[in-house]
Amino acid sequence: MTTRPNPHLDIDNYDADADLMALNMGPQHPSTHGVMRIKLFLDGEVIIKAVPYPGYLHRGVEKLCEKLTFVQIFPIVDKHDYVAPMTNEQAMAVAFERTLGIEVPRRARYLRTILAELTRISSHLLWLGTFTLDIGGTIGGGASMMMYTFRERELILDCFEMLTGSRFHYNTHCVGGNRHEIPDGWVAVVKSIVATMKLRVPEYEQLCTGNEIFNMRSQGVGVISRDLALELGLSGPNLRASGVDHDLRRDQPFHAYDEVDVQVAVAQGGDCFARYQVRIAEFYESIRIVESLIDNIPEGPLSSQRPVKSTLAVKVKTGCHYHGIETPRGELGTYIIGGGDNKSASPYRLKIVPPSLHAMSALPYALVGHTVSDVVAILGSLDPIMGEVDR
Amino acid sequence: MSELLVNPWFLGFAYGFPLITVLMTVGGLATWFERRFAGRMQNRVGPSFVGPFGILQVLADGIKMMQKEDIVPRDADKFLFNLAPILPVFLVLASAATIPFTGYWDDTGQWQSWLMVADLDIGILWVLALAGLMVFPIWMAGWASNNKYTLLAGMRGVAQGVSYEIPLVMAALVPVVATGTLSLSGIVAWQAENGWLVWRFPIVGALAFILFFLSSLAEANRIPFDIPEAESELIGGVIVEYTGLKGGMFLMAEYMHTAVAAALAVTLFLGGSHMPGLSFHWALGPIWFVLKSGALFVLIYWIRWSWFRFRADQLMELCWVLFVPGSLILVMLTAVQVWVETLL
Amino acid sequence: MNELLSALAAAFPDFIDAETPDPSGPMVPASQHIAFATFLKERGFTRDVTVVGSHWPAADEDSVGEYEVGTVLRQPQPGSFPFMWRVRIAMTDTVPTLFPLFAGADLQEREQFDLVGVQFGDHPDLRRLMLPEDWEGHPLHKDYAIDTPHAPWR
Repeated sequence: MTTRPNPHLDIDNYDADADLMALNMGPQHPSTHGVMRIKLFLDGEVIIKAVPYPGYLHRGVEKLCEKLTFVQIFPIVDKHDYVAPMTNEQAMAVAFERTLGIEVPRRARYLRTILAELTRISSHLLWLGTFTLDIGGTIGGGASMMMYTFRERELILDCFEMLTGSRFHYNTHCVGGNRHEIPDGWVAVVKSIVATMKLRVPEYEQLCTGNEIFNMRSQGVGVISRDLALELGLSGPNLRASGVDHDLRRDQPFHAYDEVDVQVAVAQGGDCFARYQVRIAEFYESIRIVESLIDNIPEGPLSSQRPVKSTLAVKVKTGCHYHGIETPRGELGTYIIGGGDNKSASPYRLKIVPPSLHAMSALPYALVGHTVSDVVAILGSLDPIMGEVDR
Repeated sequence: MSELLVNPWFLGFAYGFPLITVLMTVGGLATWFERRFAGRMQNRVGPSFVGPFGILQVLADGIKMMQKEDIVPRDADKFLFNLAPILPVFLVLASAATIPFTGYWDDTGQWQSWLMVADLDIGILWVLALAGLMVFPIWMAGWASNNKYTLLAGMRGVAQGVSYEIPLVMAALVPVVATGTLSLSGIVAWQAENGWLVWRFPIVGALAFILFFLSSLAEANRIPFDIPEAESELIGGVIVEYTGLKGGMFLMAEYMHTAVAAALAVTLFLGGSHMPGLSFHWALGPIWFVLKSGALFVLIYWIRWSWFRFRADQLMELCWVLFVPGSLILVMLTAVQVWVETLL
Repeated sequence: MNELLSALAAAFPDFIDAETPDPSGPMVPASQHIAFATFLKERGFTRDVTVVGSHWPAADEDSVGEYEVGTVLRQPQPGSFPFMWRVRIAMTDTVPTLFPLFAGADLQEREQFDLVGVQFGDHPDLRRLMLPEDWEGHPLHKDYAIDTPHAPWR
């Protein structure tokens, strides 16, 4: 095992001769992807210790969930990962369904898979835009890239609006299936989006990897080794960029992923460039999955349950349950402790296990030894969403 | 009357006043142009409401900036803090004084440069010296703001400015060695008579031009060399603490610096206001000059809106590993070529 | 799953019952917490998923109430499943930290300390994570009212 930076380095006894400077990055900083603070201890311009301070977006959702019933929880969870709200709902729905042993109709599972993959594309688009914004400047090449990615993200949001009536906070999943029936012409819209994306992703690659400065800025920066990534509990693209071949879509299938052959994208570098490579490969993979499913959506009901009339309709049995699905950011799990007797309609304790918090915990390790310029590159490449970190 | 016409004070006023007005306007219009240009590149519109094509947006921005409260941080060094925004504007305008904007063939077949505030014998030295001074306002603003981000930005700015000074001077030495004069008007006259430096000295001239262009990008803090500004890392660099017109002065100086850098590259390497076969009247000179420097100007923005930013250490490495030795070699090659030509 | 359970039952016969496993995960005494996690990590459960604390208030006046700490690990390979176990302690006791084994437990345990109030023994840096440092109480306590007033934010 290689030597790891000590995240709890004792600054007071570090080196009496060194010129140390403490630099607060955030909470009012344009590149912290939300509101967070990293306290950097600099020796010259080299970081020797980094302490993340999340919590500026803490809304006490877990406390709130204890007061709400399972049906009422769905609209809230949209707001955690505000970049990919669709998969938040799905994580909650899958957790409840698996806990209760409820079967989801095949049509709903196909629809959920397509929605999850479109969400992955839109989330990665936003990631690509903001990552290039971080290393390219808000008035510069990065801004151009962001405009291009938002152009395509808009298409996907429009398509979600066509299905659910809202662009961001959908509330379209419920226990046992989906709420909104597929409208006429929606399939054609999805196909056109996929066709557009197929043309555009190579353009993004040209703009990024075709530019030597991008490679210089991202290669060898913020390396997270395989062991460290596992220990930190990284998941999703961040874990796969460190060389771990692990994707819940293939390893513990949910939705209709058992009917699809998921090719897991893995990169070995563990640096910012590897994380970029994995996400670009996932664009192509998501496009492929949507293409293979969109023509074969089976007929049938969208939900196995009757429409919910009462907020007390879903009751979870006693005991602890953990279920996770793969979201664009990694494994989004839900840890539920059921109510005291089998009748309670609200959880005794519900913990949302956010992949972004794990990504945050990589910062004290990945930042050390780099300069202030690399902080934004590393933070951007890890793709933490503060709404999800803080909840 | 004729005495008045050669009086340097009168000349300075007669040329300098319009020049300052024109450059200030160019600096303002450049912001409008850049925003429109970037808008087209990025699939959006850009400013389009104020005036025809949004061209008065500059005016609206200026009025907005004037209305802003003037805030000086409590623990700032007030004198330096207030002095810093004025200096870059002054330095840029002063360095524009020696650029000849037009020229004509006189009766003896000599190229006479004209329309410049001061025809200094050491014009190029003057310009480069002022460019070297540009690190002072950056450092003053960075230090006086009493802010860690501006301090880091100031440090980076000085390191970058001082480092890129060397390849800039060396690349500017290529025309000096080739033409044998330090006067900008002399360099333009030589180019008009012997051909532009970009191709008069094949490869070497072109390389020196590229080197000069990139180094002046770095001097003007343009992407990919805008380390001292670095919005995404250092928020906005040295101008973080400046409000209203003071911040605006920095931005305006930056735009004018870009314009002057383009004009200087045109003067040194692209023949100034001379256009082969089309320079039969002095009134045509400014047109060719504006066209050439405008093309470079657009190129700068094109680069800016499509490239990413270097990291500070990569930038220094690029300078000291590639640019400095490269520029030294270029100067030597030019000298060799000049020597060979005198032998022939 | 069954193989794992029988291996666990062989190693920890005191509290693992391979015949009738608890679907909520086995209850592990706090003294065996680290040994249990080490055993699982060697068996391929190398990915730290989460640490979840919950508060169980006292039934009567005499006892102090309990904290339950659930830990979830996962093996990063095809056919992966999450494995969870629970540690129950009195509110005055501490749970040994998993930080030496899983670096990610650092922030996870800080979050649970912050919100639930579980004390993790030997944690190198047990501070509040989400709430401000001068916050009083732990919001996920069952007796913490959701409208508890707090000092205004600065």
